[in-house]
Amino acid sequence: MLMKRSLILPFFSLFLVAAVTLPVFLDETAWPESSRNYLEAEGVRESGARNLVSAIYLGYRAFDTLGETIVLLVAVTGTIGILKKAGAVLEEQPDFALPGEKRQSNFMRTHLLETVTGKLGPIVLLFGFYVMLYGHLSPGGGFQGGVVVASGIVFLALGNRGDAKSHLVRQDVLGRIEALAFFLLLLVSISGIFTGGGFLDNPLKQYTSMPAAFIVLLNIIIGLKVGAGIGVMCIIMLGKE
Amino acid sequence: MIERLILFLLFLLGFWGILAKRNVIKKIISLNLINSAVVILFVLEGSRIGDNVPIMEEGISRVVDPVPQALMLTAIVIGVCVTALSLALAFRLYKATGTFHIDEIREKVGK
Repeated sequence: MLMKRSLILPFFSLFLVAAVTLPVFLDETAWPESSRNYLEAEGVRESGARNLVSAIYLGYRAFDTLGETIVLLVAVTGTIGILKKAGAVLEEQPDFALPGEKRQSNFMRTHLLETVTGKLGPIVLLFGFYVMLYGHLSPGGGFQGGVVVASGIVFLALGNRGDAKSHLVRQDVLGRIEALAFFLLLLVSISGIFTGGGFLDNPLKQYTSMPAAFIVLLNIIIGLKVGAGIGVMCIIMLGKE
Repeated sequence: MIERLILFLLFLLGFWGILAKRNVIKKIISLNLINSAVVILFVLEGSRIGDNVPIMEEGISRVVDPVPQALMLTAIVIGVCVTALSLALAFRLYKATGTFHIDEIREKVGK
């Protein structure tokens, strides 16, 4: 027998999956244009966001976004629960450090990390907030900006010195930011009810000429939540305080 | 057509990794590959009916369909959550058994 016996079953399964999914991937059915045409004509007027993707996930389909933030919350909670019992991933490798470095808080540092990450962190945070705030006008939005903010937080956690710690890299602070952002998201979600709309309706739709303010607010809250959530997951895996 | 075949190969590569690789971390990365293939497939499908980005500046028409993009935004974040959670579980297994190899883990946990 040429191949190892343990690979026969995977090959067979792979063949079956290929046979099932190949038509899906090569399907040339015409993509329906009706939703695109409607959004192109009415999306900006109805939601106020010029970025139609933002208009969908914060306007038309905001329920999905709410559920997704719950999934993120569950993932963060699960990661914290699992890793708190198992211990941090990187805390047992003190050999990766600057030569002569004795302080426990400063292992896992090289000259590259030292010079780059701490200085780049605030700039990345600023860019993350820019992406977050301009999500209704340009490519970007809460999720994208939030992920950039999370990478800025990881930069800060990697780069700051042991004696000059930013509060932004502390697990409890990030956890509170996430919980507060979720609470604010729920508050903003029910705000449409008070103006006669439904759950997650835009309360500014009929009262001001700038309904995009609702989208901006949701973008900021979701960005804070995603940034704090993914940041706290990374920091727990790093094993920082 | 060629981009669809490449996406299909990416999907199969991820599936093969899940089936045949014995390292838990490699399985998780393969899960990510499948996720990426599906995301790119959706965005590709939505881009077939237009030429411009769906940001309604002055004079923009024939934009791509924004619905699959918004859908995949959700899928990407869920993928990140799944990856983080499964990495945490893999690390927990490593702490308990001292290995990432799936057969050794099964041996040590099974007895």
